[in-house]
Amino acid sequence: MSVEITMPQLSDTMEEGTVVKWLKKEGDKVKSGEVIAEVETDKATMEMESFESGTIEKIVVKEGEKAQVGKPIAILAGKSGGDSKPAPKQAEAKPTKAAAQGSGATNQPAAATAVAASHGEAYGEHSRGEHATHGTHATIAPREDGAHAPDHNGVRIKASPVARRIAATKGIDLAQVKGSGPEGRVIQRDVENFTPVAKPTAPQGGAIERAKPTAQPAQVLTTRIARGQKQVIPLTKIRSVIAQRLQQSKQNIPHFYEAIDIDVEDLSKLRERVNKNLEKTGVRISIADFVAKAVAMALLQHRDLNSTFDGKEITQHGDVNLGMAVALPSGLIVPVLRNIDQMGLAEIRVRSADLVERARAQRLKQDELSGATFTVSNLGTFGVREFSAIINPPEVGILAIAAAEKRAVVKGEQIVARSMMTVTLSCDHRVVDGATAADYLRTLKNLLEEPGLMLV
Amino acid sequence: MPTMQFRQALRDAMTEEMERDENVFLIGEEVAQYHGAYKVSEGMLEKFGPKRIIDTPISEAGFAGLGVGAACMGLRPIVEFMSWSFTWVCIDQIVNNAANVRYMSGGQYKVPIVFRGGNGIAHQLGATHSHRMESVYARIPGLIVVAPSTPADAKGLLKSSIRCDDPVVFLESEKMLNDTGEVPDDKDYTVPIGIANVEREGSDVTILSYGRPLSRVVRPAVEALTNDHNIDVELIDLRTLRPLDCKAILKSIQKTNRCVIVDEDWGYCGMGSGIMQKIQKPAFDYLDAPIEYVHSDEIPVPFNHYLEEAMMPSVEKIVDAVKEVTYR
Repeated sequence: MSVEITMPQLSDTMEEGTVVKWLKKEGDKVKSGEVIAEVETDKATMEMESFESGTIEKIVVKEGEKAQVGKPIAILAGKSGGDSKPAPKQAEAKPTKAAAQGSGATNQPAAATAVAASHGEAYGEHSRGEHATHGTHATIAPREDGAHAPDHNGVRIKASPVARRIAATKGIDLAQVKGSGPEGRVIQRDVENFTPVAKPTAPQGGAIERAKPTAQPAQVLTTRIARGQKQVIPLTKIRSVIAQRLQQSKQNIPHFYEAIDIDVEDLSKLRERVNKNLEKTGVRISIADFVAKAVAMALLQHRDLNSTFDGKEITQHGDVNLGMAVALPSGLIVPVLRNIDQMGLAEIRVRSADLVERARAQRLKQDELSGATFTVSNLGTFGVREFSAIINPPEVGILAIAAAEKRAVVKGEQIVARSMMTVTLSCDHRVVDGATAADYLRTLKNLLEEPGLMLV
Repeated sequence: MPTMQFRQALRDAMTEEMERDENVFLIGEEVAQYHGAYKVSEGMLEKFGPKRIIDTPISEAGFAGLGVGAACMGLRPIVEFMSWSFTWVCIDQIVNNAANVRYMSGGQYKVPIVFRGGNGIAHQLGATHSHRMESVYARIPGLIVVAPSTPADAKGLLKSSIRCDDPVVFLESEKMLNDTGEVPDDKDYTVPIGIANVEREGSDVTILSYGRPLSRVVRPAVEALTNDHNIDVELIDLRTLRPLDCKAILKSIQKTNRCVIVDEDWGYCGMGSGIMQKIQKPAFDYLDAPIEYVHSDEIPVPFNHYLEEAMMPSVEKIVDAVKEVTYR
């Protein structure tokens, strides 16, 4: 009996998806729970697994082609293993893990997922029921390389959930870890005590023979494109969205930039005192948190900048929703901290850390990615001295925050070493004038150099 | 802080609350003239008189229903059952009436009532008098289920239960009434409902339990694990079974990555099974081993002392389960 495998709805807004890669070809046997393809949506690339066991009879949608949600993308024939149970009418594929995009992850072998084939049909059925009840969000998670790696026979590796999580965080390939639990289950202590075996990943065919890495772990070596070779990378969905939107912004919005140096010496000391008091809570406030707070407080005073512009009307907002640019391997995204002006520093720290963490795990909800009234981009941790950012429309401003560093500063008649930080404000000149921007920066500078003013 | 028996802690809680609020009264079999089947209400008849300490016939359905009606009309009854096993005959009053009146009247009536008495296996009482009723009541929306394990918690939780505007199922044990412990004598001392007690902090495994098994087997097992097996246990006394303090449980499992539940219920559909249902999904990514559940064997509770002991959780069973989840 044949069943259709249909394009799954992987997000609330998804209407169609592109089959990026088939991990199975026609005639291949598929087990329930096995990953069969990678599908790209408007947001991310996901792996999808089959709910049914059987043989791929026909691939309807080829690699690179699109299909509407619910439309068949492949036909699965019969059931393997002589199971006499009647097959359901339609097998819906289940999304599993969002693939890390553009990282070459697509070259990985098909990964079996949470449903162990050895558990048989009962658990396969159960897992589908769960999926239907809880919707797709619960099952979409970032692909954690190594966490689902099968061994070379395609058999699922037994590992405890926490061991998988640790392996994913540390980038350990579970296939290399010897499990000490029952039936070879990889458990927490196995992963924690694991030392990766170095293996050279130098490109093949390169003319230069490199010295063999000795004690260095393999991860340190960068994979290079061999001399005389080229590599063409098609744009992922997220990359092409970034490309399109930023080009649109820079072409349509007359940007102007104003930079200001801020003395954060006193603020740094205040921060240490605050953190000392917070020691027991485990929360550590960063300079960026103070800056975010000050940015929000300054926006309350300069609502010209806490605005959006649609080309016809300017909308000034009563809420301060701060977008925070986060760099991911797949590209830039901007989660939004809503009503940040009403938050204390600790709440800003906890909430922004949560947003960043979930952004990295691609677990943000749609409403956490929209509705910003102003954005900050912070490259301070990279040691950048100053930079300017492109406005994220329909917002009218964005603040580029560079690193705080010791600089020689003239104070009175003396040259002294002070912690200084340069921030650069980009504004939409259709809405904001130079003096307005300068006024805002002066307020921001005052708030950060005299943080007590934030209490006023 | 005075040291006292569990039964006195219960008595003090009731006495203090009856002094504080004239709407509180105690009703049940032999609570007045006989001073309670287990002497919990000793002296209370003399103190409060027969209008507030009321003896009843052997008719649980009658006096439980009377209590629900009195609560609807604004009084705050404490209904004592000689054993929770006997509530099978008045379960309609507790589950259908007490738990649902507030909801079904659209909030016009509230039911501030406490049902209390001995629960569980209390040594050679036989199959029909050894029921563990926690899972029967903890699954009912509208009820609160409390199960203290120390005299101090018994007093603090009973006072909170009497002050609570919703029906509370308060589970004691005949075998705990002689336990002694320090109990605050402050009249304002209460223990909040819905908050578990992390009795011992540890890093290797979380043990969840409540009520009598804690003193009977769990605390001795923790001692054995610490001394003989070098396993650092985090012990949580759940204290309230509905609403369950999932936050405290998850916080602990995130730290220890392993969990063993101990109760004297039967395993299938038992209290521990319900707790697992609440926690396995949010705890999943933190678990290093499946959650273990140490419970009683699925047989009617035997009268024979040795068989009764054998069917219940023991120190050895708990140690084995902990070794299983810690891979020792």
